[in-house]
Amino acid sequence: MQDPTILILASLADGDKHGYAIMEDIQVFAGIRLGPGTLYGAICRLEGQGWIRAVKSESRRQPYRITAEGSQHLKEQLALLGQVVRTGNRRTREA
Amino acid sequence: MRTLIRWAARLYPATWRHRYGAEFDALLDDISPSLGDLCDVLGDVLRVRATTSIDACLVLAPVSPMTLRLPVVVSLTAHGLMLTLVLLAVWGHVTTMPLHVVAPPPPPAPDPPPQVTDARVFPNALTLYSSLPLSMPAQGDALRLYVSNGVGINFLSLPDIGATYRQGNAEWRVWPGQALESFIVRRVLPEYPRETNIRGAASVFVEYLITRDGSVKVLRTSGPAPFTGAAQSAVQSWVYRPLEYESRPCEVISRLEVRFDSEFARSATSH
Repeated sequence: MQDPTILILASLADGDKHGYAIMEDIQVFAGIRLGPGTLYGAICRLEGQGWIRAVKSESRRQPYRITAEGSQHLKEQLALLGQVVRTGNRRTREA
Repeated sequence: MRTLIRWAARLYPATWRHRYGAEFDALLDDISPSLGDLCDVLGDVLRVRATTSIDACLVLAPVSPMTLRLPVVVSLTAHGLMLTLVLLAVWGHVTTMPLHVVAPPPPPAPDPPPQVTDARVFPNALTLYSSLPLSMPAQGDALRLYVSNGVGINFLSLPDIGATYRQGNAEWRVWPGQALESFIVRRVLPEYPRETNIRGAASVFVEYLITRDGSVKVLRTSGPAPFTGAAQSAVQSWVYRPLEYESRPCEVISRLEVRFDSEFARSATSH
């Protein structure tokens, strides 16, 4: 699980967060520290895909919110990942 | 490092900086950036520059064809500059400003007091004047200077010859006593302590300091009690000419053995 876009979507799934909060959240739940370039590269792509959008804010720290399309995409990716996990576990036990 | 990353972020296209620059700056203020973060940003800059669809994701600030061409030229120059800066930083020619005031290092712990006496010195003492008769000699002036009835002085060989011991501001150099004979102004031979009932031979080892003014201070003695007092009082009354090392006044440590023999002391008395 190294895809920063999925990590960011998973982080935003429970609420709006700005860049630093996303970075900290991912470090806590996935143990991965995204670099600032990786983080904003992924944010740029997610925004371009319409999976997240910036929330109006007066602060320099711009919060982001996951969109309905982003939430749907996240569910699909997690389902795929779950399938991979189940298959991998089953085959590991059989080996 | 934060400054370097901000410089690196300037390599993003203007549209990117317009859209994300402020919040990217805020992020840099929140984190403690590392060299890895700098590489991460530079990598993303290259990715963005190499991706033709970059404008598709910059939904808030579309760009014109003119502004697309100019950054290519600028970025080539800037990449070269950044590479030079990174190399200079790696070689230590560029340092970032310290973020925190660092307390000055604690003063070094004072040196422990010197262990002046080498444990090997006294037990392994060698005699300069071997086979001391310890009676009034007739062999020559040099021997007569250090031998009396029942008492003789041996200068010791020093395993730590030339060593320097420091205690506070004092600096003591170890040097053998026989090499300093020509500097002796006044020497006093110990007297055999008549009041003692100890029979036979006894040795007292003396470690002494020749001070800057030439006077002698006994640092320590080793041997039977009645004899140590006699040896100490005699050696302490010696006087040297002030010594110099490399044209500077110095203090010198040396060691000697005082031998006492009741048999020769008695025979001298009986004569």
